[in-house]
Amino acid sequence: MKNSPKQQAQIIAPDAYPQMLSKPNAARAIETLRSAQTAANAQAAIAAQVPALRAAILEYVEALENAQGDMTIVFEKAHEIRGFAESAGLITTGRIADILCRYMDDMERIKKPLDTTLVALNVSAIGRAARAEGNDVAMGDAVAQELAALVAKRLADAGLG
Amino acid sequence: MPGAGFESLRALIVEDNAHMRTLLRAVLNSAGIKLIAEAASGQAALAVLREHKSDLVLSDLAMKPMDGLEFTRRVRNDEHSPNPFVPIIMITGHTEKYRVQAARDAGVTEFLAKPITAHNLFARIAEIVERPRAFVRCDNYFGPDRRRHIQDDYSGPWRRRDDFQQDLDVR
Repeated sequence: MKNSPKQQAQIIAPDAYPQMLSKPNAARAIETLRSAQTAANAQAAIAAQVPALRAAILEYVEALENAQGDMTIVFEKAHEIRGFAESAGLITTGRIADILCRYMDDMERIKKPLDTTLVALNVSAIGRAARAEGNDVAMGDAVAQELAALVAKRLADAGLG
Repeated sequence: MPGAGFESLRALIVEDNAHMRTLLRAVLNSAGIKLIAEAASGQAALAVLREHKSDLVLSDLAMKPMDGLEFTRRVRNDEHSPNPFVPIIMITGHTEKYRVQAARDAGVTEFLAKPITAHNLFARIAEIVERPRAFVRCDNYFGPDRRRHIQDDYSGPWRRRDDFQQDLDVR
């Protein structure tokens, strides 16, 4: 037996509730969102934020390094770093922070203990990549790959292959 | 003309990280979205929504004391919610599948992974403008329709009033 209409859901069509923009404004807004001028404006706006973002990342890195094994702090700071390191031009830093967060999140989900040496390796790599500034991509790519492989192995060992 | 179409749009940024709020504001400004309110938690955002009309919400997921999921549920389901239909873009570094599903089930309109790019954020806003989703109200859910595609091989129960008409239309 399939497709029996038991509990019916009410469908509210887009025309039946208030929209974000009126129709004439919607057409103009789409044009704006897709214009080269808007893309250039956005790029300039993000570029203007880079110095402040980099300074913030370095503060988070310091807090990460001073966490002294407090894994709640380690996760919180790594999570902030992965959130906008790339916007600050620190691509490898963000990538390693993402590897660390995913590892910690997965292990927490299956209630398995963290490999503290692996966490420390990631923290150290995040610090080095962030301080290498513009050179971090070239320097850190190999490191990020190795850390990703190590994390994958630990997760596989823990049953998350 | 840069900014055309967004002159009267009011956006709300809900994010506990001040740097991220600044970045999001800068990107929205670059598209001409200038009327922007900010809140540092879901709880603060609910207060802002009650005080100021908002047409678009960008919300982080992990915040204290109220996270983005609970905030979304309250906006959608609270009987005193000022606008249960407001589009909510969930912006987060937590991109694991189970979290995306949780956000969808809470009633978010679009999901955007950090690190954000202007291109991706604008694409989500354009999606909301160009293809507004129907809303669904049932026993345990109120929010944007979570089905974006019709599955030909779907064999579960059909619960919507228009499903049988849709069935006829498809076949």
